Amino acid sequence: MSYKFDWSVLWSGESGGWLLQGLATTLELSVLAWVLAAALGIVSGAMRTVPWRLLRGLATFYVEFFRNVPLLVWMFFWYFGVPPLLPEAVREWLFDHGLPFWAGMFALGVYHGARMSEVIRSGIQSIPRTQFEASLAMGLTTFQAYRVVIIPIALRLIVPPATSESLNLLKNSSVALTISVAELTFQTRQIETYTAKAIEAFTAGTLIYLVLCVGIAIVMTRVERRFAIPGLIARGG
Amino acid sequence: MKRLLTLVLAFALGLAAAAPAHAEGTLDKINQSGVLVIGTRTASPPFAYVNKSNEWVGFTIDLVEQGVLPSLSKKLGKPIKLEKKESTPPTRIPLLTSNAVDLIAGTMTDTRARRDSVDFSITFFVTGAQFLVKRTSPIKGIESIANRRVAAQQGSTNAKIIRERVPTAKLQEFPDQPAAFQALTQGQVDAYTNDGIQLYGLRAKAPKPDDWKVVGDFFSYEPYGMAMRKNDSEFRAAVNNGLMELIESGKYLELYDKWFGPKSETPYPLTPENRRFLIMQVVPK
Amino acid sequence: MLDLSVLVNNFTFLIVQGLLGLGGFTGGTLRLAVPAIVLGFVFGIFVGLARLARARAISLPATLYVEFFRGVPLVMVIFWIWFIVPQLLRVPIPEYGVALTAFVIFEAAYFGEIVRAGIQSVPRGQVEAATALGLTRAQTMRFVVLPQAIRNMVPSLVTQMIVLFKDTSLASIIGYVDLTKAAQIVNNREIRPFELYLFIAVVYWVCTYSMSQVARRFERRPA
Repeated sequence: MSYKFDWSVLWSGESGGWLLQGLATTLELSVLAWVLAAALGIVSGAMRTVPWRLLRGLATFYVEFFRNVPLLVWMFFWYFGVPPLLPEAVREWLFDHGLPFWAGMFALGVYHGARMSEVIRSGIQSIPRTQFEASLAMGLTTFQAYRVVIIPIALRLIVPPATSESLNLLKNSSVALTISVAELTFQTRQIETYTAKAIEAFTAGTLIYLVLCVGIAIVMTRVERRFAIPGLIARGG
Repeated sequence: MKRLLTLVLAFALGLAAAAPAHAEGTLDKINQSGVLVIGTRTASPPFAYVNKSNEWVGFTIDLVEQGVLPSLSKKLGKPIKLEKKESTPPTRIPLLTSNAVDLIAGTMTDTRARRDSVDFSITFFVTGAQFLVKRTSPIKGIESIANRRVAAQQGSTNAKIIRERVPTAKLQEFPDQPAAFQALTQGQVDAYTNDGIQLYGLRAKAPKPDDWKVVGDFFSYEPYGMAMRKNDSEFRAAVNNGLMELIESGKYLELYDKWFGPKSETPYPLTPENRRFLIMQVVPK
Repeated sequence: MLDLSVLVNNFTFLIVQGLLGLGGFTGGTLRLAVPAIVLGFVFGIFVGLARLARARAISLPATLYVEFFRGVPLVMVIFWIWFIVPQLLRVPIPEYGVALTAFVIFEAAYFGEIVRAGIQSVPRGQVEAATALGLTRAQTMRFVVLPQAIRNMVPSLVTQMIVLFKDTSLASIIGYVDLTKAAQIVNNREIRPFELYLFIAVVYWVCTYSMSQVARRFERRPA
């Protein structure tokens, strides 16, 4: 009854195709969610540092509520809880275009947006206040100062923490399997269900994640060096 | 990259080192622990589900408690306790092979394909696949689902049949019954296919049963069995003896009446053919 | 539209069974999170110290360990321990054991990194001074470096503990009846996803927010 290895299950039959589809879905889901997270993170991160109380409060509420609740709960919330509240037309569109994927994308993006927001806020706060004051003195409005001075500098400062946060997003995309998004972990389990070769299937899935994460980390180290601003270090925020 | 390679190597070595220990029969395992661990469902009324008072009950669970457990106790000469774990169509076979559970007792259909990886007990229930749809739906059965969005449980027999028989149906697979049913309630799909009796059970427990109807003739044959690890004939005999005794003593019919009788929430008359089929499975002592 | 009766009727089940783990099912968010945090941190201290060891035979495995577990999703680790380890060792592991093992192994990698960064944040001069005073390496670590390092670590430690607390919701995937799974069980029957999931979101939030508040107070306390 001891376990018999059969690595060929990974390339024979449909397994190989499933793995590739899973990888494609994981990347698609992660990239879209990352764009959403970056947008939400930049806007809310900047809002938390502006001198207007209402905007600060709004951003604080978003960040504190969304990042302090498990992603899995948000997945269920966006997938099961939200669609019934949407207008008929939107709902129909979602049902025709894969509701699980879009719910998963929103859950991932909104959750990580709140976490990204913290990274960006600490980036902004590490910029000397004189930069902001100098911009105002030059006649820029607060909005302009943020758009052309503060945020561009902050983004260059936060490359290391933002990278590790982006990798977290990629890894967390696996939670979407709970709402039947056919991403990499889901497909890994599919192979296991159909071939009963659990070790082979999980090894393949694990290695793909590992290669992705290590690969991105290596590329980002290069990027970090390229964009580093001499004299300004924001490591560790 | 070098770091990664070393890592992979270390990982593979670690796996090879974890050599499997000797195999032992399920009866020995139960004898040692005094516990039978079953994998069952949490939301498949009336076979196995969590009721309003948050207790885990159902027809299959009763069969195990009143048939299989006494048979095991008799065989091993000591009282055996029951432990229930959740299993779903995609997890139930891995749970068995990984020793996490000893017996799958829920709503699993005995098929020849599945007999490649697990063994089954005698059949304890017979049903067939149908569709659950909104009361106002035009869907009448498998003949009218072309181009419709149809939900099925991932890894179920019904999903496979739909894919083969009606390739134009837009099949969406869900990890378990509640997810599929919620998709139906939200209108994400037009119909949900599963074994007829489960659809009746689901409808009976739904917040508004009258909004739903079960339609279509059986488009599959679904004999339910309890699954166990392969090539363990002693354990299998003990399970089968328990089930046969239930049928022979008439206790099975009492339980059937409790869960499927005219006064139950899910009336589902036992046809004379099915009754004869069940009785004929009971071999002489 | 909003129907709160589902929360009232199942409040005991959600809180007593789901959050505390007292009831007919194996479960409980706190029953899993508290030991996972403690063990993960303790194990993490060893991982962090091992990474800083001078001997490569110790620091290399520790580095590989950290890099490996930070490169794979937690869900994957849970599946490994759920499906594969029992198959190789031929011993069944109960859900609680699966979940606890997975969290401790996985989070120790993250805690290890925090410990390492904390120790490296202590100025070298401190170590040199301690050595000059005649303390051994172990004594220096125990009396000089660790007390200061831990103070520096507190913010990231608390953040990681909150992450771990939230991650315990993933134990619901293997049928462990924690808060998330309890809500799922009730929702399977009542179909009130909006109310139920929002409610547990608030419960999780209250727990994590109070953790961060306690930490803030702890940080402000003078040395």
